[in-house]
Amino acid sequence: MSEAEVLRAIFSVAFLASVLRVTTPILLPALGGLISELAGVINIALEGIMLTAAFVGVVVSAYTQSPWLGLAAALLASALLALGLAFFHLELKADLILSGLALNLLASGGTVFALYSLTGDKGTSAALASRAMPALNLPFLEGVPILGPILNQHNVMVYIAFLMVGVIGLLLYRTRWGIHVRAVGANPEVAASVGLNVRALRYQALVLSGVLAGLGGVYMSMGYLQLFQRDMIAGRGFIALAAVFMGGRRPLGTMLAALLFGAADALANQLGALQIPPQWVQMIPYTATVSALAIYALSQQRVTTRHRPLMFPRTQTRKR
Amino acid sequence: MTNETMAPQQAEAFRTQTVRRHQIWTVVTRTLTTMAMALGMGFVITALVSPRPLQAYTALLTGPLSSPARIGIWMEDATGLILLGLAFTLVFQARQFSLLAEGQLHLGALVAGIVALHLPLPIGLHLGMALLAAMAAGFLYGLIPGALKAYLGASELVASLMLNVIAQRFYELLLTYWLRPPGAGYNWTDPFPATAILWRPIPDVRINIGLPIALMATALVWLLIYRSSFGYELRVVGANPEFARYVGIPLRRVILLGIAVSGIPAGLAGAYLAMGVHHRLILNISLGLGFEGIVVALLARNNPAFVPLAAFAYSYLRIGGDIMERTAAVGSDLVRLIQAVIILFLTAEALFEQLSHWIARRRHLHVGS
Repeated sequence: MSEAEVLRAIFSVAFLASVLRVTTPILLPALGGLISELAGVINIALEGIMLTAAFVGVVVSAYTQSPWLGLAAALLASALLALGLAFFHLELKADLILSGLALNLLASGGTVFALYSLTGDKGTSAALASRAMPALNLPFLEGVPILGPILNQHNVMVYIAFLMVGVIGLLLYRTRWGIHVRAVGANPEVAASVGLNVRALRYQALVLSGVLAGLGGVYMSMGYLQLFQRDMIAGRGFIALAAVFMGGRRPLGTMLAALLFGAADALANQLGALQIPPQWVQMIPYTATVSALAIYALSQQRVTTRHRPLMFPRTQTRKR
Repeated sequence: MTNETMAPQQAEAFRTQTVRRHQIWTVVTRTLTTMAMALGMGFVITALVSPRPLQAYTALLTGPLSSPARIGIWMEDATGLILLGLAFTLVFQARQFSLLAEGQLHLGALVAGIVALHLPLPIGLHLGMALLAAMAAGFLYGLIPGALKAYLGASELVASLMLNVIAQRFYELLLTYWLRPPGAGYNWTDPFPATAILWRPIPDVRINIGLPIALMATALVWLLIYRSSFGYELRVVGANPEFARYVGIPLRRVILLGIAVSGIPAGLAGAYLAMGVHHRLILNISLGLGFEGIVVALLARNNPAFVPLAAFAYSYLRIGGDIMERTAAVGSDLVRLIQAVIILFLTAEALFEQLSHWIARRRHLHVGS
């Protein structure tokens, strides 16, 4: 092998490993978004829940010096926020999209306000000695060429994210609860008429989606980066929603879509070292998302006229 | 008793009037109660983080009126919010959740800046051209999510949020690689020529002629929504898309144009920030201002006639928040918290149901029948 080839191999292995890293904070909220979408209550607040979890994780881990307590507190906060969203929508009849947006604003303003109150800094939590989640060394991958460097030594949250694809898939398609949730999303009136508790199932789906988004948020500030920055989620919660639709509202498809967005993101990071304006590169993931959204919508329009998620909220069928 | 002595038509008119008055009363009470509750929660939070919460809150609530210069800053800020509130009023009218205002604002500022700096035109024409170009930019950019939604059924919410980031990066790109003076170590352009600046009539006070322009825009948007056939179609599509389809309203075209037209005030808001506030293009020209229009539109109940009032009220809090941060070291982001609480409470339909039932009963007793 020539040196150039070796270099290319290393480059691509490092690149594939980085795809897994940047996919994680899209995949986790995307799985959350998937559950909420299948239950018929799309969670627009994924972005804000991730941001809150990222913040709470950093602060609690800094004060307790335990990343695990940070994780637990972050997940608790995520569940509470999602519960709040569910309460406003299901009990107080608030518009789901607007109240989701309000929670995003609440998180964006609230985290900066709390950060400023705690540290006097409005930008980052650099003043806090926060802890990160550990990286995992899988002994059976040690010394394996190519696969080893790609798959080994990632943050524990990366493995959790990909494990969750299978777990959520089983939960949604192989358990009674999953079948009920999907029934409630497909047709709430029919689900209610056969005795399902629509409201309770939607509560549960929203809270679970919040916890998954929270895992993604914790990874952002305690793995991907090791501090909190204001508005550090940078639209990943919404890219995750795009991944749900592009993935055909199925767990495996959602994962593939998240990987695609992750690849665009990783590419942007790689190109960042080149002599082109960084703004061009930073546009890549977002342009990719809009294009993917358009292509997916186009293909859907050809294939079927059945339930259209998030599209015409009150006119989902197109009768001719 | 009153009803029996009147002719049937009169009685009907009287009832309608009473119902309408009652509805307005409910809406006003509800909006004011919401603001009071949100401010109350803000005070509780302030008390938790500040040793002198009363001083901080006094700064928040009275600061903007404490000097003519501050009143000017308040008016200047409210002008931009009026335009952004109008943008959201238009999209929400059709129940579309396109949040593209932030991106349209960046593009509007960008093209206004390009016209201001690179297109020498005589006085009057220069200003008009820059404003027009900004409005056109906002409209054209809105066609993208509009078409994606109307013709492909793609979520306008996700598309608009992605397009916001793209527009912002594009703005930064042109600013840092082309528009700023070559070799400059800072990220802003030269000041605009005097022909491309919104004039400030009072020296040392920042209020400028953008305010009457924004009020004119308010009137135009009101006419568009309530006195034009397009506005009627927009409202029908928002209220009941099935019915709109049934009566033959071109649903897709209305959605496309609704999202695009809302870009006109949003683009204008961008031009206003460049030509009225900063007098040049700067790197972080918006700082998320595009999203603040949401709360203005909600406070105004999507009625453009109330947008200026809502913008002045909300802007008052924003400026008060800045003053509070400087004088009492309580973060101005508290105002964003208050904003979120306002949105949550205003959209929570059932929250006030009990209250309005109670009021309705009382008023019913007073009218007496």
